[in-house]
Amino acid sequence: MTQTTQGPRGPAEMSDAEELWYSGKWIDRVPQWVSITVLGLAMLGLWWLIAELMPTNLKILLAGPADTFEELWDTTKNIVSGGHIAEGLWITTQEVLLGFLAAAILGFVLGVVVGETRLGKRAVMPYLVALNALPKVAFAPVFVAWFGFGVNSKIVMALFIAFFPVIVDTAAGLYSVDADTVMLFQSMESSRWQTLRKLKLPSALPFIFAGLKTAAVFSVVGAVVGEYLGGGHGLGELIRLSAQTLRIDRVFALIVYLGILGLLLFGLVAWAEKKLLFWHKSEIFEIQGTG
Amino acid sequence: MTTPANGIDRTGLESRPVEHEVVRITKLNKTFHKRGLKALDDVDMTLRHSTFTSVIGPSGCGKSTLLKIMAGLIPATSGEILLNGKAVTGPRQDIGIMFQQPTLLPWRTSIENVLLPIEIRSGAAAAQAKKDDALRLLELVGLEGFDHVHPHELSGGMAQRVAICRMLVTGPAILLLDEPFGALDELTREYMNVELQRICRERDATSFMVTHAIPEAVFLADQVFVMSARPGRIATIVDVDLPRPRNLDMMTTPEFGALVRRVRHSLDMGIDGGGLA
Repeated sequence: MTQTTQGPRGPAEMSDAEELWYSGKWIDRVPQWVSITVLGLAMLGLWWLIAELMPTNLKILLAGPADTFEELWDTTKNIVSGGHIAEGLWITTQEVLLGFLAAAILGFVLGVVVGETRLGKRAVMPYLVALNALPKVAFAPVFVAWFGFGVNSKIVMALFIAFFPVIVDTAAGLYSVDADTVMLFQSMESSRWQTLRKLKLPSALPFIFAGLKTAAVFSVVGAVVGEYLGGGHGLGELIRLSAQTLRIDRVFALIVYLGILGLLLFGLVAWAEKKLLFWHKSEIFEIQGTG
Repeated sequence: MTTPANGIDRTGLESRPVEHEVVRITKLNKTFHKRGLKALDDVDMTLRHSTFTSVIGPSGCGKSTLLKIMAGLIPATSGEILLNGKAVTGPRQDIGIMFQQPTLLPWRTSIENVLLPIEIRSGAAAAQAKKDDALRLLELVGLEGFDHVHPHELSGGMAQRVAICRMLVTGPAILLLDEPFGALDELTREYMNVELQRICRERDATSFMVTHAIPEAVFLADQVFVMSARPGRIATIVDVDLPRPRNLDMMTTPEFGALVRRVRHSLDMGIDGGGLA
């Protein structure tokens, strides 16, 4: 076996046990779940060690794993019994979901305008690029002034932070359409609307979903930043209050729930992508494996 | 069609009754003003019913431009193209086209891809009504039972067969083939050429194929147009009177070799700027 064949392998080649045995690196021979678990435990140990070694007067600044997990348990009990944390989680969830939906719709519409029209590409896009270069967080006080301290200003903040990637990816997807296939549609006397609906938008879907996945993560950022700067009763506000009273263990526990919220939304988008894009290259290996 | 006693169908050009004209091109010119490039210079040609024409020429000789003008996809600068007596001024239902890539929509099954031209022109209901025709076409190209398969489950050759069906489904008067098997490996390509010959004969198709490969051009054609570059013009017409149906063994015969040499020679003259026209 030559040197070049012993390098890192793609997943398609990994299945052959014999080849695995020959591969040089020990990490390739360890099942992935083992390496993930070991690294996770190591980091947990490091966290615990640092928290233990903190001088007593600074211990309050870094909650150790034990304190955090205890607080996480209390938080979970509070959520299950419908306490104030459950209320905050529900508010933030609404802000994130509505902000994401608004970003998806507005981003998609503007993306089609930019990707499909000359005016959009030549006149609208430069403004959107300039807008994206601004520090969007700086607009939070403006949104609070316009939309109040309730959920609305946070939805707008989430929308504002999350919609740009959807625009760019939708437009890029529309540009990526194969030129010969466009010519084929012309030869079939396809109208512009037919070409958009039957060729360009389906071709752009992998790009659009990449944008939606980014937007799912960004909309959580937007909602939380909105809460930090604009009050309300969501998880972001609870985190801010906990940090002010130096309840770092509670801050960590609430961040875990924010993480779960973001992961769930991301997972939902990824699931929809898998359902819709069965034909796309990245999904083909699995299709052939089951069929 | 009669088969002579020696078992070879000698339907060469000389014995075939002269078929009617399907395409007539007169004094066709194309200049790309932006680049100051004269792509086609006074091209004249006649394509008769049920014949196969290959066009070969160096890169940039305008052969693909010629095909796109014939398809009504880009306008000519001057000159006229008549298809069944009617001037081609834009895309038409009676023009079938096929590219080097299959250009199938990956989210549609084979049969949905075949029916796409009907669906675009006449709507989903009309496409549904043509389903039996589409199934027969898939059968014709040897893809029986593959109607509900998606393109990623097809090989390159199979995908091009689906593209052939999509081209044929509207019953076009002329088939325009832009290097249809250029992206396939050599063995598949030869096999697909035999298949294309069979399909064209069964459908009595009038075909016009752009290619880079001399043996392929000769193997399929009744006439080979050799083009020269800058400006693109038809330098030579080589008539191919090999008997049909042709098989791959024929490519080793002296007659075939002589035709390939003639095309090669004409091409060299064109590249040197000599031109035989």
